[in-house]
Amino acid sequence: MLILGIDTSTDILALSILEDKKLLGEYNLSLKRQHSEKLIPLIKEILAISNITPEELGGIAVGTGPGSFTGLRIAITAAKMMGRINGIPVKGIPTLEVMAAGVRADYILALIDARGDRVYYSFFKSNIKNAGENITTNYSVKNILDLSAADLDQMPDILYEYKDKRIVIVGNKVKTAAEILKKYEFNVFAAETENNFPRAAVIARLGENYISRGVSDNIYELKPLYLKKAQAEINWQKKYKS
Amino acid sequence: MDFKKRLKTAENDIYILAIESSCDETAVSVNKNGLEVLSNVVSSQVEFHKKFGGVVPEIASRKHLELILPVIDEALNKAGIDFKDLDAVAATYGPGLVGGLLVGLTAAKTISLMLTIPLIAVNHIAGHIYANFIDNPDIKKPLLCLTISGGHTDLLYFEDLKGYNILGRTRDDAAGEAFDKIARFMGLGYPGGPAIEKEAKKGDPDAVDFPRAIMDENSYDFSFSGLKTAVMNYINNQEQRGEKINKADIAASFQEAVVDSLISKLIKAAEEYDVKSVVLSGGVAANSRLRQAAADEVKKMNLDFYYPSLNLCTDNAAMIGAAAYYQYLDRDFAPLSISAEPSLRL
Ligand SMILES: [Zn+2]
Repeated sequence: MLILGIDTSTDILALSILEDKKLLGEYNLSLKRQHSEKLIPLIKEILAISNITPEELGGIAVGTGPGSFTGLRIAITAAKMMGRINGIPVKGIPTLEVMAAGVRADYILALIDARGDRVYYSFFKSNIKNAGENITTNYSVKNILDLSAADLDQMPDILYEYKDKRIVIVGNKVKTAAEILKKYEFNVFAAETENNFPRAAVIARLGENYISRGVSDNIYELKPLYLKKAQAEINWQKKYKS
Repeated sequence: MDFKKRLKTAENDIYILAIESSCDETAVSVNKNGLEVLSNVVSSQVEFHKKFGGVVPEIASRKHLELILPVIDEALNKAGIDFKDLDAVAATYGPGLVGGLLVGLTAAKTISLMLTIPLIAVNHIAGHIYANFIDNPDIKKPLLCLTISGGHTDLLYFEDLKGYNILGRTRDDAAGEAFDKIARFMGLGYPGGPAIEKEAKKGDPDAVDFPRAIMDENSYDFSFSGLKTAVMNYINNQEQRGEKINKADIAASFQEAVVDSLISKLIKAAEEYDVKSVVLSGGVAANSRLRQAAADEVKKMNLDFYYPSLNLCTDNAAMIGAAAYYQYLDRDFAPLSISAEPSLRL
């Protein structure tokens, strides 16, 4: 089965094709605000280079954030349309899950910059037995603390019961987070550059895992993880419903 | 994979799916040979924006993403057309709100790539002109078009898709925006255009002498901020003096001032440019006082006068599909790298 993986929730446009656990190609390009110009031409290009016609695609995996709303809407719109036209399954995958699945560790803390000292975080446990030994493919993770927002300073409290576990931190602000947790004698490591963004190959691999097990999303309901209402809505509620 | 070998000419039937998402309507149509509208589905978000008294861009973007697939499905179903029957896909790429434009444009690009059919990027303002041709294919050109809505106030000279230019535009608020703001200020509700029109029917247009925007004589630009401030000051002053506000008179006088400002520029252009017809378009063109005043003046000059039916006046995709057809015949296709242009001009 051919899976196309897409993520445009960050500055990096991530795009990959996976065929039966084999990576055919991958782009991870720092494009800042050019996702709208580049996404569809690059999908055309990666299909052409891989000698694949659109009808041959078997499924789409798409990042759902949190991240740039505009970026997310571009990728999700494209994924919905491809799913609709080709009649193939689409699976939305949270950005934090993608980053967590890209590293090897027993426990993974995935962070995305919110404003100021705040972060969005999720905490994961490796799903693979004997993690760390000879595992090179199909690594996946289990979410044990759901996506929330917190100050970095709160992390030692939040993760208290995992203090003696080996934890890898991925995503944004990993060095700062590691320093804070080390002060409280946590056994933590900051992931390296190449793991700190939602990588295209990982999205496609997770998509393949889900879709091959029959897990996919309703394309009519698929949307970004907005995490909160639009600002105008929040202001309106403050004004009229307090 | 190339669509160039399969391009049709005007002798063949050409089916175009068009998407419009520049403001607060998610709209999709299927057009046959341009002006034959097989389906024209408009899912208006007006209810979601009502309580805010205007369109909230982030809410509009979220709604467009939710609505785009169901609206496409409905347009195809109503037209009895399948994706594989399409010869091209079109979308508005500007002007408008960037979040919404990107949803529609990305959907169109994906359709273009998946089906190997050309992508046609349409200027929303050009679409509004073509709305007239759907109802009246024989409108004589060149023509003047006054496009007035919540998003734009544009006066255009139009010969064909390549030979048109903007004569004037608003320097501040769009006409529809001015209606919305005054309606909100007076507590008349949203959208403001129909609310003001309804209230104005009960009032005297000569009751209050609000200022007509005095712009540079040689310019066809519009301005409504001075008028808007004048109306607000008038109401505030009346209230301070403890005098009763006659909402109907104020609405009628305000509407009259807007209509006067629009018509005077339109007539000035009709005198200066050698045109055969004058057309109105955009949501505010549904205003009956404006239609009447424009019709009276234009007919005095022996020019033809048109305005589209209500469902083609407000934002819709059929007008985008109509303009797209002529771009198709001209082989005016967009690359997949095209992006939205929120402040696109002609
Ligand atoms: Zn419009």
